[in-house]
Amino acid sequence: MFNFKRPRHKLHVSDENDLRLSDLKPGEKGCIVEIGGSENFRLRLIEMGITRGSEIRVDKFAPLRDPIELIVKGYHLSLRAMDAQKIAVKRIA
Amino acid sequence: MPETTYNIAFAGNPNCGKTTIFNILTGAKQRVGNWPGVTVEKKSGHSTYSNNRFDVIDLPGTYSLSAFSAEETVVRQYLESDEPDVVVNIIDASNLERNLFFTTQLIELGKPLVIALNMMDMAEEKGLQIDADTLATLLGAPVVPVVGRTGEGVDLLKEKILRVSTDISLKARSIDISYPRDIEQEIDKISELFRDNDLTDKHSRWTSIKLLEADKQTRDEVRYHQNGTDILNQVKISTERIEGLFKDTGRAVISHARYGFIQGALRECVVENLAESADQSRQIDRVLTNRWLGLPIFGLFMWLMFKITYDVGSIPMDWIDAGLVMLMDFISSLLPNSMFASLLVDGVLGGVGAIAVFLPNIFILFFIIAVLEDSGYMARVAFIMDRIMHNIGLHGKAFIPMIMGFGCNVPAIMGTRILESRRDRILTVLINPFMSCSARLPVYVLVAGAFFPENAATVIFSMYILGILAAIGSGKLFSRTILKGMSKPFVLELPPYQKPTLRSLVLHTWERGYLFIQKMGTVILVGSVIIWVLGYFPTEVELDRDYVDEKSTLIRHFDEELTDLESKFKISVDKDRLAYHSEMIEYESSSSYLELHEQYKLLQDEISTEKNKQLYNLRQQEIGDITEQKWIGRVGKIFEPIVRPLGFSWRESVALITGFVAKEIVVSTYGVLFGVGEDVDEGSQGVISGLRSSGMTPLVALSFLVFTLLYTPCLATVAAIKRETGTWAYTIFSIAYSLGLAYTLAYAVNYFGRMFNWLS
Ligand SMILES: Nc1nc2c(ncn2[C@@H]2O[C@H](COP(=O)(O)OP(=O)(O)OP(=O)(O)O)[C@@H](O)[C@H]2O)c(=O)[nH]1
Repeated sequence: MFNFKRPRHKLHVSDENDLRLSDLKPGEKGCIVEIGGSENFRLRLIEMGITRGSEIRVDKFAPLRDPIELIVKGYHLSLRAMDAQKIAVKRIA
Repeated sequence: MPETTYNIAFAGNPNCGKTTIFNILTGAKQRVGNWPGVTVEKKSGHSTYSNNRFDVIDLPGTYSLSAFSAEETVVRQYLESDEPDVVVNIIDASNLERNLFFTTQLIELGKPLVIALNMMDMAEEKGLQIDADTLATLLGAPVVPVVGRTGEGVDLLKEKILRVSTDISLKARSIDISYPRDIEQEIDKISELFRDNDLTDKHSRWTSIKLLEADKQTRDEVRYHQNGTDILNQVKISTERIEGLFKDTGRAVISHARYGFIQGALRECVVENLAESADQSRQIDRVLTNRWLGLPIFGLFMWLMFKITYDVGSIPMDWIDAGLVMLMDFISSLLPNSMFASLLVDGVLGGVGAIAVFLPNIFILFFIIAVLEDSGYMARVAFIMDRIMHNIGLHGKAFIPMIMGFGCNVPAIMGTRILESRRDRILTVLINPFMSCSARLPVYVLVAGAFFPENAATVIFSMYILGILAAIGSGKLFSRTILKGMSKPFVLELPPYQKPTLRSLVLHTWERGYLFIQKMGTVILVGSVIIWVLGYFPTEVELDRDYVDEKSTLIRHFDEELTDLESKFKISVDKDRLAYHSEMIEYESSSSYLELHEQYKLLQDEISTEKNKQLYNLRQQEIGDITEQKWIGRVGKIFEPIVRPLGFSWRESVALITGFVAKEIVVSTYGVLFGVGEDVDEGSQGVISGLRSSGMTPLVALSFLVFTLLYTPCLATVAAIKRETGTWAYTIFSIAYSLGLAYTLAYAVNYFGRMFNWLS
């Protein structure tokens, strides 16, 4: 399994393997590769439909930049940036 | 024909319209909200259908049966019990995929199931065409399309519920959610071991799946089975195998597989014709949760909420006030000078009446909160405010009970159940009492009106701000000390905006307002009567001053002055007449006479006014002296030394003690203390002048307001804290902490105020 605790290298954002949901800009779409974090957190997200392979779209940031509003499985959901950072995605054009 | 009773459980995701359909079915008075998780209580009602009785329970909305939160635990325990005969799963057709996740769990649970496909209107608007019959076949349970808003399809739903509860063959028809082959094999291996225990196939499958999901509750239960160790051993082996194969935990693999099943089903029965522009909520949110506009708009809404509450509320307030005065006068004239009349007028009407005036404010506030909830804006509030709440170590959702605290802390504390973790709930419960509830408003209005007539609004507003600051500060303190630990992940659904229906707004407002009226009818009534008793007895008191004598001396003194004045006037008139020569007009009509007369009248008025004023002050002093001798005064005296450093007299001490019953009683206590209801000067005007002449300075008034805001909430709130935290430890802590904070800050106001000579 992925270990998401490893330090992040900002320089390597272009590395598609290390793109996080929190790196997407409003309007961009991603495909979920993997969810990190604690077991309870992962399960909560999976139950809410954030499953591996599903498409997710960053709709906007809250006025204070956090949390993030997402669209997944046709509904609107919001996550904190620090949690979105635990989700690895692949950008979809 | 004998009636058969069936137990029906309503279950579904938050915000799927469960409560709406429940209301249509049962006609019960229910709360209907639009932010996830409004239904925090288990609510019941009943309905009849062709001679059968349905006892319906509306379960809290949950996303799954994993027992993460208090609500999920309640739902799961109830559904696993033997009680429900049929489970009605309400699903939001416009959000089908996610809603069906919960459905897959219900199917596995194996209870007879009926699925109500709600919000068909929204689904259509969104461009979804759903084939309900195919869905029913795939899920192995009847699917009834309904529209909760209009009640369309509810009759058919009743019919299906009855069919499922009576028809055994329908019950047996349910299907299994199929998992990938490797998982199925492991499920079989485990359920095999249940053969020896007399579990049904269905139940052993459900238990096996739960075991693979490492569900703690199920593990604990299985441990006591006769071959519990064998089963748990097998679970361990199977889990390892699954984790090896899928490179993920058992729970995650199974949850993913459920979505896999759902996606397969949806491909067969849903045709999507999504039009992006149809997402109206998104358009609205472009403005309401906009980067720049979001916060100012929210601030504006809050400001409007208060403005409307107080400005509009003050109109009916005056009517109620006038009505009460009329009623009091009527009773007094009917039963002059009896003890019973005093109990009715001063005790009951005086006490409860002082609160009744605020009913319009409270109902308006609850109505506005209902609008915010039902429209879906409350969830956006959580979205906008999360950043700030996160600072205190809380979830954005915790902002909702905090705002509700402005109405009444009791429902607000009950509302903390929307939070998932116990730590978040306790933290929110502990800081909630600092949100200035509507019951404190009467005290602010009275005291601020008496001492800061020019700046009353500013003073009242600062109290609200101080309360918020106290909540934030305490929240930070607690989350760093007694309640360490991170708050639960923030996963918040933002439901589509809805035009609230009048029916649900009225129900909502009424439910909460009713709580307040109930409180008024019970706690406050009892409190007012107790205070009246304390203030009425002993009936004979000995006073140091002879008020009768002082009063006649006063009257004599002023009468002498008046006679004096009259004789002086006569002398001047006589002098003037001698100097008067004209024969054209009578002297009494001459301008010089009129001038003298006018002067005389003016001086006469001045003296009379002064006389009345002094008589009134004497009367106030007498009332004060009498009250001091009554039981209430004696109780106040006992506590006076404690509150003296804050600048308070025994009156404030009495008012604060009685305020523990309910804060609004502080006002009625002052009413009793200043003998309002005995005097000609009725209503709050009497209390205001009483307060002013009692020797209270504006500074003491301010520190009194600070104390009132912060000290121990009312009895009802204490009861709610006990109920929600479940322990006396937190309850007692909350009482002690708020008393301590109130004392410290009130002392600081008084101390620094005197040091810098403010407001003395
Ligand atoms: N358009 C539409 N709106 C509906 C329908 N049914 C319910 N609603 C609205 O959906 C919102 C949520 O309804 P509730 O009945 O409070 O939902 P709930 O499932 O009980 O929610 P929780 O109490 O959070 O579990 C309300 O604003 C309803 O007016 C429907 O069929 N169509």
